[in-house]
Amino acid sequence: MTDSKEIIPTTYRLRYKKGEQIFKQNDFGISIYKILSGKVLIFRECDDVEVPIATLGKGSIIGEMIFFLRATEVRSASARALEDSELEVTHPIEIIKEYGASAPILKLMAEQTLNRLTRMNRFIDRLIVNKQEKPENLRSSLSLWKSNRRFYRKKVNLTCKYASKTRLKRSSATLEGTIRNISMTGLGLEIDPRNEGAIPHEIGEVFQIETILPNGKELKLLCTLVRSSKGRGYISLGMTYLDLSDEARKILGFFLLP
Amino acid sequence: MPIDPVVYEYIASEVECPANQIIIEEGSKGDWVYVVLEGQVKVKKRTPKGLIVVDTLSEGEIFGEIAFLEGEEADRSATVMAAEGSVRLGILNKELLIKHYSTMSPTLRAIIKSLALKVRETTTRICAALVAAN
Repeated sequence: MTDSKEIIPTTYRLRYKKGEQIFKQNDFGISIYKILSGKVLIFRECDDVEVPIATLGKGSIIGEMIFFLRATEVRSASARALEDSELEVTHPIEIIKEYGASAPILKLMAEQTLNRLTRMNRFIDRLIVNKQEKPENLRSSLSLWKSNRRFYRKKVNLTCKYASKTRLKRSSATLEGTIRNISMTGLGLEIDPRNEGAIPHEIGEVFQIETILPNGKELKLLCTLVRSSKGRGYISLGMTYLDLSDEARKILGFFLLP
Repeated sequence: MPIDPVVYEYIASEVECPANQIIIEEGSKGDWVYVVLEGQVKVKKRTPKGLIVVDTLSEGEIFGEIAFLEGEEADRSATVMAAEGSVRLGILNKELLIKHYSTMSPTLRAIIKSLALKVRETTTRICAALVAAN
């Protein structure tokens, strides 16, 4: 491939000492970094657990995911210098313009690739966090309810609506299912096998589930699929909450009180 | 699910695949890019514990793009197989894709390539984590 166009971006160099943070997950920022020398650790912070993603060296580009999200989102991971490092920092204003004018097919490919990467990162977070969290830690992490109150998995029969949060926006249908049991950490969802034809139900997928409890309270939950088994004419899905809002925690807590 | 109308302009040919047919084999050479027109495909990786499903792609989703975007005759990062039922795929016009890709500035290409490399690495990490978890 020939390099037909050369863009001179707004670029400067920065030096980081070993251990220094380059950027932090959830920060706003648009700059893209290229490692000129040294080593950089990319990691995600999930439930106070540091999940290493990659150790990158000379020539690698970091911080580029935000570029495709067009600064509407926050950094999806943190970066820290593992040794004294020099980085080239680019404010990608010109590249954003160029990307905007690029062939739509390449943008579609890049966006789908990004989507896949985001989905996989979330999946790995859960795998690693679940492995490190013992049941007693899990309970204490629910700060609002760290008293000695006991919760349990309650059998229910609740119709709910759910939609994929990891798939492309235009392809995410809203589907129906029945919640068969629910606890402070997750729920069991039963669905029609035909739902799988509308959107994939792979382990690691993230879903938004909405239901109304028998006491009339509306509950919205962001869950990740951790288990799937087929029954006769139905599929049973095991979901773990990714993030329980204070409100959802209260509603669920009262509902689950013995 | 709707297919982005953009892809129709690039479909050079269509192919029907029976269930479990291998479309792309991990480790092989090739940079054709495909789009799922009907049905689903499974993305699998080789592990010491056999093939593991790392993703399922359905209508409108493009695959095979990792090796294409990385360029330089990169190996295929995963195996893609037709799932159950009828699977219809569109094969994208590679010449046209190369033409677009090569007119991008080296900086933009490097950014997109970096994204593709991360998907490859992350797929490998998912497998390692899955094998360790079981």
